[in-house]
Amino acid sequence: MNEKIITYIKDELSIEFIESIDMDEDLLGNGIVDSLGMMKLVVFLENEFQVTINPEDMTVENFNSVRSISTYLSKPQI
Amino acid sequence: MLYNITNLIEQSAVRYPEKDAFKCLDDSISYKALDSKADQLASYLLDKGLIRGDRVAIFMNRCLDTAVAFYGILKSGGAFVAIDPFLPLERILIILNDCGIEHIVTTPAQTRKIKLITQKAPFLKSIVGLSENLDVKTVSWEAIFSRTLDDYSPARILEHDLASILYTSGSTGMPKGIMHSHHSLLSLAKLEADLHNLDNSDIIGNFAPLHFDQSLFGYLSGPLVGATTVIFPDSYVKLPASLSALVAKENITIWFSVPLILIQVLLHGHIEKHDFSALRWIRFGGEVFPVKQLRQLMLKWPHAKFINSYGPSELARCTYYILEKPPETDDPIPLGTVWNNTEFKILDTDDQPVNNGEPGELVIRTATMMIGYWNRKELTEKSFFKIEMAPGYDHIYYRTGDLVYENEQKELMFLGRIDRQVKLRGYRIELDDIEAILLKNELITEAAVIVVKKDLEIRELEAVVCLADGAKINADDVIDFCKLFLPSYMVPQNITIMHKFPRTGTGKIDRNKIIELLETQTL
Repeated sequence: MNEKIITYIKDELSIEFIESIDMDEDLLGNGIVDSLGMMKLVVFLENEFQVTINPEDMTVENFNSVRSISTYLSKPQI
Repeated sequence: MLYNITNLIEQSAVRYPEKDAFKCLDDSISYKALDSKADQLASYLLDKGLIRGDRVAIFMNRCLDTAVAFYGILKSGGAFVAIDPFLPLERILIILNDCGIEHIVTTPAQTRKIKLITQKAPFLKSIVGLSENLDVKTVSWEAIFSRTLDDYSPARILEHDLASILYTSGSTGMPKGIMHSHHSLLSLAKLEADLHNLDNSDIIGNFAPLHFDQSLFGYLSGPLVGATTVIFPDSYVKLPASLSALVAKENITIWFSVPLILIQVLLHGHIEKHDFSALRWIRFGGEVFPVKQLRQLMLKWPHAKFINSYGPSELARCTYYILEKPPETDDPIPLGTVWNNTEFKILDTDDQPVNNGEPGELVIRTATMMIGYWNRKELTEKSFFKIEMAPGYDHIYYRTGDLVYENEQKELMFLGRIDRQVKLRGYRIELDDIEAILLKNELITEAAVIVVKKDLEIRELEAVVCLADGAKINADDVIDFCKLFLPSYMVPQNITIMHKFPRTGTGKIDRNKIIELLETQTL
């Protein structure tokens, strides 16, 4: 899952070419993804992992890094 | 006496030494600490040979140390150049070169990008704020903050000295630098504090980065009155659920942002769940607020006063319009009337004042006027409209490029641009700038960039290009090329490759026809 997310961010969303993304890197703060990219990421995650992401869950805690995204997705859906 | 903007924190450091000047999540800095840390940074820059008027870059994501960088550079007598760390490397280098930057103030979070910059910018003399050593001299924040101030003597700063250069999209593929003096920024600080009856009990929500001049409200007017400015980190500004929770938690009293952030909070911020009773003012500006959503938001926050704020970066802000109640119709919200220390004219194409109620270009004379564009004497002259009052004494107005008319209530109403500048998500974009970049690619012979309406609310940048014979590139290649030179908000969302452009009778590219073709998807 992590690899898929990282590959998608690197290939489709990153504002410019980057070699690697750290699991704990601040995706928004370090400028890897912009706000449009965040919207695209949500659509990607929903399609790729067959989940529904509640807008309420789109928080810094859940989306700040690849690790936080995958932790969030691994939680049982309510 | 207040005559330059470093006086703002010096004054508040005496009046409110222990009060929080700035806050960012769990970090905060008092006025006293901010004043002395700014002195420490200034003393370092002066030791490195900085001379009054030298430009120093601020290359930081939104964090508490931006306040130290801002005031430290100013105290040294330098002018700050806030650079968007999300810009592509090429554009950053153009800016550094254009205004002769020798020192960059940054944070460890930007290490990766700073490394790339230093490899290509041999003219840099030092980097402040990195712990890691690079080829160029670096000094950590810890080292700055442990400096003693025994040998430090503050710089002499006059009110007409250069305080900042703000880069914005230019129409030639080169960004242009708007110069502001201590005088214009101090005037802005006073006017905005006055507009909101700001006092030291206010808590200002700062959602804009330093390279966007909305941030000047929090960085200047806050310290003027001894209020607290809360800096919202990038991740919070982009995730409305977190943003709205933090605004409530921080008891923000004054909100100033682009409409987009307010709309996101309205749609996804779960407003009902939080207590926003502290909010006194909601101020928006930078682009048009769709009336439907504005009305919805006003109904949710009936206790707050809503105000539309308008002004190009060349003079920061100049008009305002207070909404007494939610708009009853979907008619556009007026730009309003000019604030204090400001006057205007509406001119026809011959620079003659229009008759009452007729449309024309808005020109503004104000205390917050820029000095001019850095290194662009001709462009500066072109942007001014001068009335000679007596030989050697002119009244100087700035030509906004905005087409307006005055309604029966004597309020200014916005009609559009007289040139090809557009506003998308609050960003000011010259379409010619993007076309100039596209044409830098040898495989592209012609380019037209247009704004396409996807639906009522979404407008996107699209480009149509003609390729050189035998050129083997596709749309994705063109987008990648744009990303090398343009900030992400200026990169077209879609590229359409055409063999031949539709032309008008006079042989010009028929942009309206192209828009029509793209909107109806008949290409």
